[in-house]
Amino acid sequence: MEDFIKMGKHVITMLPGEGTGPEICEAVRSVIDHSGVDIVWEYEEIGLDCLKEHGTLLPEKTIKSIAKNKIAIKGPTTTPVGTGHKSANVTLRKMFDLYANVRPVKLIPVLKRPWDKIDILSFRENTEDSYAAIEHMVSDEVAQCLKVITWPGSVRIAEFAFKWARANNRKKIQCVHKANIMKMTDGLFLEAFREVAKKNPDIETGDIIVDNCSMQLVRNPGQFDCLVLPNLYGDILSDLCAGLVGGLGFAPGANIGDNCSIFEAVHGSAPKYAGMKKVNPSAVLLSGVMMLRWLNEKAAADRIQKGFDKVLAEGKHLTYDAGGTASTDEFAAAIVRAMETV
Amino acid sequence: MTLSQATTGRAKRQVKTATLVGVDVYIITEDGIPAFDEYGAFKIEFVSNRGTKVWPGYVSPDLMLVNWYRCRFMATRTVTDAEVDGFLSALTKKWKWSAAQKLWNYGDEAGYSKAY
Repeated sequence: MEDFIKMGKHVITMLPGEGTGPEICEAVRSVIDHSGVDIVWEYEEIGLDCLKEHGTLLPEKTIKSIAKNKIAIKGPTTTPVGTGHKSANVTLRKMFDLYANVRPVKLIPVLKRPWDKIDILSFRENTEDSYAAIEHMVSDEVAQCLKVITWPGSVRIAEFAFKWARANNRKKIQCVHKANIMKMTDGLFLEAFREVAKKNPDIETGDIIVDNCSMQLVRNPGQFDCLVLPNLYGDILSDLCAGLVGGLGFAPGANIGDNCSIFEAVHGSAPKYAGMKKVNPSAVLLSGVMMLRWLNEKAAADRIQKGFDKVLAEGKHLTYDAGGTASTDEFAAAIVRAMETV
Repeated sequence: MTLSQATTGRAKRQVKTATLVGVDVYIITEDGIPAFDEYGAFKIEFVSNRGTKVWPGYVSPDLMLVNWYRCRFMATRTVTDAEVDGFLSALTKKWKWSAAQKLWNYGDEAGYSKAY
């Protein structure tokens, strides 16, 4: 097995997740494997299904695989609400310090939307803010959560955003904040952004208060290019952006650290559809395209993207959420066929 | 709706007995992950940085640390508020700390989060 693994150009940890995750990830794998890229997949477990067997959402074997390969692609998992175990997603981000959550959204022609242009790239700080897991019941009727914003954490997400934006020929970055009210925490985030912006004069910069940003996104999303946000605003507004173009089914994401990256869709595991092979694998597939670009496998990434665009433009093999009747596998197979002709 | 309707009949949260079980102390240090002596009935359980556990157990060398650590000390027996005062006084002799938060259980439920 070790020798076999060494034959692959890239060894990638595959985390199918739960619910519809495994069938989505199989469809995605079939497309990526036909793209011409040389990958050996290491399958590992994650999520609620692991609890029964391993007593944890994130088994040690999975952690070791990601630590070794330094790159993973992940299907959806379920996060318990209000009580119970901590999110496997957040645990991974913390453990591997995946500080940059990158989420692009673009208009998809087949999904009719009331705007002419949406092409937004959001950079969400992924490890701090109210996700620092510092919560207390300070009396029997008062709960508090510490919002932790640090200078080095804010600087590195801003620097990352400028580098990514420049590499992708983006023109403008806006820092999203609520520094008019949270003058220390969001104020520090904004101060760090402005400091980094001074060193990147080739890219236009600005800042916008999060509530105004929300309103502007809904009214005129075409005005936005790149957004840099603290964790909580990034969590919310990146979903809002996904909703603008048709929902989470088409919203890819990347969680990137200095030495490890995990690519994942941000939608849920849709357990009620598990095994029915009807859900849209696009979000994980497009996350896979992001992963291939990160690995500098541009030709394979372009091939998949063109095949994907062609299938959507033709509109004959769409999943139910895009108005079609194709199964998960049929949609993936159509992309594979399209890749052979583009 | 009237003011009277709006302000009457509000739900109350069930009151549960609060039991003091420990203290989170936020330590400021430039010397890396702090290690602690024994402090009577207060035993260090974990240290976290930006919400991520950095002691005990594995710490990724890639993890970015800031100079502010949450240090959770759990009581090994029933303790009083006065004992917390004494513990913090002892801690002050060696460590600079920014804040302390008492940890209570409410009934059988912990009133505090764990670190990731």
